[in-house]
Amino acid sequence: MAATSARAGAAAAMTPRVVSVWNPANAVTVSRYFTLPFLWWAVDRGYHQWATLFILICALGDKLDGLFAKIFDCRSTFGELFDAITDGICYGFALILVAAYGWAPVIPVVFVIAMGALNTILRGVYIRRAGRATNYKSYAMERIVGYTSFLVGFATGAMDVQFFYWAFVPVMLVIVVHDAKRMLVDAVPAAVMADRAAPAGAKP
Amino acid sequence: MNLVSDGVFKFLLSATTGGVGVLWTIHDLVFLARLRGADRRDPLVADQRFGYVMGVVIGMIGVLGTLRFNGVL
Repeated sequence: MAATSARAGAAAAMTPRVVSVWNPANAVTVSRYFTLPFLWWAVDRGYHQWATLFILICALGDKLDGLFAKIFDCRSTFGELFDAITDGICYGFALILVAAYGWAPVIPVVFVIAMGALNTILRGVYIRRAGRATNYKSYAMERIVGYTSFLVGFATGAMDVQFFYWAFVPVMLVIVVHDAKRMLVDAVPAAVMADRAAPAGAKP
Repeated sequence: MNLVSDGVFKFLLSATTGGVGVLWTIHDLVFLARLRGADRRDPLVADQRFGYVMGVVIGMIGVLGTLRFNGVL
């Protein structure tokens, strides 16, 4: 009986763990999109405080989905990619919105979106190099994404907008150049290549 | 149509941005200090080091911007 149980446990440990895309963490990520129409409404009406509240809710969702993934043990590569894509769409939309309504300077916003698009393309190249869907990990990029969420808040709160937007430009440029070198030139880390050899879904 | 008074709103913005800026700077300075003895040739260490330096820069921008917003600088 004990031996059977041990064999079953060992078999379970070897079976690849597949995480469904229909999980609480991804549900929180999806819910972030629902803040965007309300944000648009607030910006259109000139309600700075409401607009700040909605972008704050969207940003909090970014923190909550990671927390849900840990609590419900539903971390996945898809979830990480989906989260990164949602960041790009939500903050990109919000930045275009505030620039279109004259709440933020256009040139830095165009630069931010262009750099974001370039980074997405570079991630695609990196995935091809790695040979599997993987979320490129960059400590600096995590920090600039945090700054980006604040950028929208600076515009909706009319908080020294010119300073914060123009200060963002050189920081983002340095980070994108640094990450471009890592994604295009440097060797793909051994851990990523080892995951490529493992069965799909083996890693949560 | 406001949620709070303009003064409270300005205070909340300043507290959030300045607070996060200070905490972010301290956090990344501490983590940067922990990497002092690490192998510089390790790509992960190099990425962490660069990320923390950028974190300190961004945190400082947050603090400076908050001071400017409140007329201190």
